[in-house]
Amino acid sequence: MPGDILSVDNLRKHFPTKEGVVRAVDGVSFSIAPGETFGLVGESGSGKTTTAQCIIGMYPPTSGDIWFKGERINAAFDRRPKHVKGDLRIVFQDPGSSLNPKRTIKQILSVPLQVHRIGSRRGRLARMKALLDMVELPADEYLYKHPQAIGGGERQMVALARALATNPSLVLLDEPTSALDVSVQAKIINLLIRLQKELDLTYLFITHDLSLMRNIATRVAIMYLGKLCEIAPTAEFFESPVHPYTRMLLSSIPVVSDEEEALKPRKVLSTGEIPSPVNVPPGCGFQSRCPEAADVCRRVDPEMVEVSRSHQVRCHRERRPDRAGHAEASVLHEREERLC
Amino acid sequence: MALLEVVDLHVGYRVFEGYLKVLNGVNFEIEEQERVGLVGETGCGKTTLVKTILRVLPVPPARIQRGQVLYHGKDILLMSPREVRGLRRREMTAIFQDPLQALNPMFTIGTQLRDILKDSQERVGRGQRTQRAITARCISALRDTGMPDPERIMSNYPIQLSGGMRQRVCIAEALSRNVRLLLADEPTTNLDVTIQDQILRKLDQLVDQRGASVLIITHSMGVVRDLTQRLYIMYAGSMVETGRTKGVLASPLHPYTQGLMRSVPRLTGQGISDGIPGRIPNYLQPPSGCRFHPRCAHAMPVCVEAPPPFYPAGDNHRVACYLYRS
Repeated sequence: MPGDILSVDNLRKHFPTKEGVVRAVDGVSFSIAPGETFGLVGESGSGKTTTAQCIIGMYPPTSGDIWFKGERINAAFDRRPKHVKGDLRIVFQDPGSSLNPKRTIKQILSVPLQVHRIGSRRGRLARMKALLDMVELPADEYLYKHPQAIGGGERQMVALARALATNPSLVLLDEPTSALDVSVQAKIINLLIRLQKELDLTYLFITHDLSLMRNIATRVAIMYLGKLCEIAPTAEFFESPVHPYTRMLLSSIPVVSDEEEALKPRKVLSTGEIPSPVNVPPGCGFQSRCPEAADVCRRVDPEMVEVSRSHQVRCHRERRPDRAGHAEASVLHEREERLC
Repeated sequence: MALLEVVDLHVGYRVFEGYLKVLNGVNFEIEEQERVGLVGETGCGKTTLVKTILRVLPVPPARIQRGQVLYHGKDILLMSPREVRGLRRREMTAIFQDPLQALNPMFTIGTQLRDILKDSQERVGRGQRTQRAITARCISALRDTGMPDPERIMSNYPIQLSGGMRQRVCIAEALSRNVRLLLADEPTTNLDVTIQDQILRKLDQLVDQRGASVLIITHSMGVVRDLTQRLYIMYAGSMVETGRTKGVLASPLHPYTQGLMRSVPRLTGQGISDGIPGRIPNYLQPPSGCRFHPRCAHAMPVCVEAPPPFYPAGDNHRVACYLYRS
């Protein structure tokens, strides 16, 4: 769509291994509008981190396109134009391993400034102080400390300051708070929300925590076995989840009050585990765990269909021939008949 | 008499920089067939406490300064190594956060399960019939945890299993014997929510069948709410609040618990508060009096002087905070 800051079109990333091809990401499409917080949610092994790594350029995709501000950025990181690298940044899950333990925070923060030639030598120092200020760390106290000398939450704030050093417009957040305690997480999340308003940032927030997404995302997408299952605006996503996997996830969340209990969908008993992404069997990836799996689910992989204008779901139960997905549905129907 | 009672436990670690005063007068108890939750953030001393109870704390560097851990009225800290072994064989057991570390990578699941069962029995015959009976018990213990295809799993190595499966093996190990007390230290922290849900449901059911007591240690309020009747909140080495789980979660009284509960993201989508200012204290020089006072919005002069005792606040609810003195 024009006007989107990022759009990912049928992205695939396969890794050949001795055991077979690992289909880590297998045909993912979504787009993010400026100012959004797009939540990409999935269990471990669903391919959400690989998606982020393709977008940031750590791997070139096997096929598919990544468009960033109207520019196609399929190339790996070292072959991307510098302005794209500065405009698209990432914060990783574990700040203990994403920050160099031998460098001071000043050295860590100065790297992006040097690479992108931002400011003069003196200007850089002021900029670093301003960055630390932005993430609510007193600059004089922290500038010369090493990452091990500070707490996990503070490290993540430094990682965030480093990501913001080049004035990006899109920041990928790959489970930025899942290694932290809730009270620290709350601090970081509030900081992220404030910075988003102040600096006009767009976030792609990768997480496994649906309760967190309820509070900060504008849209939520669920990923399972390399594919998206459901995309919807946050309120609609939590009020009327359609995909059986989404409902299983939502009903599995442990909550802390009766009001939340009432919001959860009827209990869907969780069974089985996510299958291996090596040699994925035909049909829907979720059919082995799906309580509503029918015959067709074991043979044909469903297509993404629209439930409403902004709510898409990839499930055979939601085939609505009278709706927008008419053409796709009839093709699917034909294929089904042939297979029968 | 309570099944397990910890009285005024002080434990610390001697390190290069000095002495870390970690546990600072811990008091708690678990009744027979009771499920108790212990919630606290990273570094509050939860794991030190479990290790002290199991007598697996490395001493030194750790030092048990004073206190008692009474199991059926008998102090575990004063038992002979032989008595402690007997206790761990038959009476209490633990499940830890990382099942890959709890399982030996060099032996098959079957070998490990069989060894544990044999060790827990007084006399084991060497005859084929006993061996076969033990194997059958291992397989049924695995099946009880919802493990698919337990016969095949018996000949697998831990590395061949997924995280959820490994944790099932640990639960099978723990519950293959009829223990009275199960200590579960963050049993599902590394698992996905759908797997967590399966494991916790299974654990709940197995504990029910066996009539064992459980202490679940976690930082997830949701997990305790699902599984436990009573709850302790721990901060910086001591208990700050206790009561019926739902009661405490619905109306937390201690400023720390209140801060925690405000930080938990809710499905109702009401936004997230600012968390709790400051961070967990340095155990080399912990704050005097109530250890929470430097981060507390309601701190009074008395808070700096002495650690507050538990004050009753109705319906089994007790709070270690001077705000509730009257």
